[in-house]
Amino acid sequence: MEDKDEDAVRGTSVEPTQVETDLSDETQDFRLLSHLNFLTDTSSPGLPKRGEKDFEPNPTQHQADVLSKSREAMHDALAHPRLHNLNTRVIAYYAPNGPAPPPGIDIEDPARFGDKGVGANVHPDSCVYVPNPKGQYFKNMGQSDRWNRVWLLPEEALFLIERGSLDIRWPIEMTAAPDDEGPEELSIPMSLQAAYACFMGRSGLTMERYTVYTGLKRTGYALTRAPGWDDSAQVEGLKDQSQECASQRPLKRGAGLAGILEQLFSWAQDPFSTRSTAAGPVVGCGMHRNYNNIYRQLAMIPWYDPSLAIDRDPLDTTPPFRVVFHAYRPSTPIKKSAWPAPDFRIAVVNTRETASIPTLAQLGALLESTPLDPPNGEKMKRLVYMRLRHGYRNVVMAVVDQGIVSYLRIADAAFGKEKLYETQAASMGNKRNGNFRGKKR
Amino acid sequence: MGNPTIPIPISYVSGKYLLFSIDAVTYLRREHHICGVLIGTLPQIPQQNVFLGLPLELMPEEARLLVDKGVACIVDENKAHDGMKSLLEEDRRQYLRELESQGLNASRKLSDRKGQQREQVLKKLDEKAKAKAIKALENEGETDTPPTPSPSVLDEERSSSRSSNRTSGHTMAMGVTPTTSYPPLAQPTSSQHLPPPNVPLSYPLFAHLSSRGYFLSPGLRFGCQYVAYPGDPLRFHAHFLCVSAEWDEEIDLMTIVNGGRLGTGVKKGFLLGGPEKPQAEAEAERVESFLALDSRRLSLAAVKHPSGDALPCIL
Repeated sequence: MEDKDEDAVRGTSVEPTQVETDLSDETQDFRLLSHLNFLTDTSSPGLPKRGEKDFEPNPTQHQADVLSKSREAMHDALAHPRLHNLNTRVIAYYAPNGPAPPPGIDIEDPARFGDKGVGANVHPDSCVYVPNPKGQYFKNMGQSDRWNRVWLLPEEALFLIERGSLDIRWPIEMTAAPDDEGPEELSIPMSLQAAYACFMGRSGLTMERYTVYTGLKRTGYALTRAPGWDDSAQVEGLKDQSQECASQRPLKRGAGLAGILEQLFSWAQDPFSTRSTAAGPVVGCGMHRNYNNIYRQLAMIPWYDPSLAIDRDPLDTTPPFRVVFHAYRPSTPIKKSAWPAPDFRIAVVNTRETASIPTLAQLGALLESTPLDPPNGEKMKRLVYMRLRHGYRNVVMAVVDQGIVSYLRIADAAFGKEKLYETQAASMGNKRNGNFRGKKR
Repeated sequence: MGNPTIPIPISYVSGKYLLFSIDAVTYLRREHHICGVLIGTLPQIPQQNVFLGLPLELMPEEARLLVDKGVACIVDENKAHDGMKSLLEEDRRQYLRELESQGLNASRKLSDRKGQQREQVLKKLDEKAKAKAIKALENEGETDTPPTPSPSVLDEERSSSRSSNRTSGHTMAMGVTPTTSYPPLAQPTSSQHLPPPNVPLSYPLFAHLSSRGYFLSPGLRFGCQYVAYPGDPLRFHAHFLCVSAEWDEEIDLMTIVNGGRLGTGVKKGFLLGGPEKPQAEAEAERVESFLALDSRRLSLAAVKHPSGDALPCIL
């Protein structure tokens, strides 16, 4: 089938670029996957390389062959079954009505053990329990109850069934006839489709949130729900107070006593300054002994100091611009009973529902709901741009467009705090004669 | 790769349109240029984000297009799964038996492959030992022969491993998590189907480009509404960044300039399009080329930045 013409047409294939690219940015050729034999071969892990793509379709047999091979590879990869080895499989049961004690056990005093009497740790939104939890996955997922069963939240259960690590069963009383022998033999395994149908939309779990959750879980982060998970949650009584503070916020000076002193000194240094610049020149006439004074007077645009902004209740924000996940790096040690301070705070935005970028008020509220995280450390002290980029508060916004996630890190940078004329003055050397232009290095 | 039965049921779950059947996914990709976005974890390599697996999330536009073509229907999956409660005892048992045989199949395959691998390794060892023995024979005159494992020992080892392999071949069935719920559930009847999905104003542009053979995927990653591929995204790079506009909508010049620049930056053309108004009004204000689409018309304008090496993009 191949002939000379074909070779000529084939020459248009796009050269692979050497530029570092994020592989997950584009659809990858599944053929790269197919040479790995996953059923048995665990000896060749590591990610496949970026595939070569053609510029445009042409009517050659070669291209058709390659495409059909790619599609076949994709088909094979997607058709891979989720199997559970009998020795290592973990069985879980779906509990449509939320956490409940095991059948046959009567709780004398439900109030003593938290919600519905299963234990105070168990999240009321949990809907899957693992009677015999083993394996590594429960280190940072789920909460155990009084009977040593681990209860999973819908996103945790869905993530585990999807990666083939959990065998979830339909509740026995829901599908089996009452006169059955063993429960384990006769409970029906839940399909992936059933798991999506049952868990998605449960207790505020949207597809966007789940996409972000699994995307980060797959690469090793640990995630928990943040207090702002529930969209309908509102803060009462705090509204007025925060508005009051907001109006006080635009301050031009630095923090505390030092700031007041600084203002006092600048006034004492420069008594002739024409502070009101409505009529006169910006830099008043008078004796100008150094540049810093001039620069200080030129700084007319008010700026705000993020380190002075007050903390805001996480619920005092407008959904979806609200932190819904706390994320932890794989290296962060985690204790399920007392989660440490998160490494990242994540808000999830659906582009189809929220078409515009957040307003300053929404974004400001979101940032203020995160704790102060000033740029500290030896490197930050040295590098001004790193300081600016790090900011004083930060939050990660995950923008989900139909299953494709873009992560944006939003930081409250304090440009006003970085007075370049002060830091640069030292390096510029002595300029008493004002003729620093002639000094070329 | 079997062909699915038409209409293909699209699962409506929590406001999203999902596909779980692998046959449906490959069929729609091949025949209708619908790619969707894979959002699930591949169980064989779960710790990466480059290759993802089922389910496939469809844009409302994609689902609508398929319903309009009569290829697919929308099923409320949450309601459909209430059917699990009323499953017949007989069906349930049969389903469990089926799953068991699937599991048995899988474990047999697995142990077969393990056996093959073991054989290969043993063969290699065998050859090595033989080579060593030959070498030793050659050197015999000069030095003492180092003790080499006699072939009989090796044979014994191999036969024992073989027999153990044979016994382990008849192991218990592995547990299986099926991907779809059909069976044991019966396909919902047409009266249970949901109405076609609501689509945004950009749907005409989507439908038009799709009818022209383009593969479209969501485009926010490139700062647009849709990314248009000339062929299957598995094998081709995208050519256009598509943004939809209404016919009378005022477009800021900066939007066009930005779009052109953005397109140049990622080696794609910036494409602006929208449905033309009904004939009489529109006659006077045609801008560029236009192409018929039902009773409405689409006008597409491709923007190229003069300095860049953007793709040729006049439609």
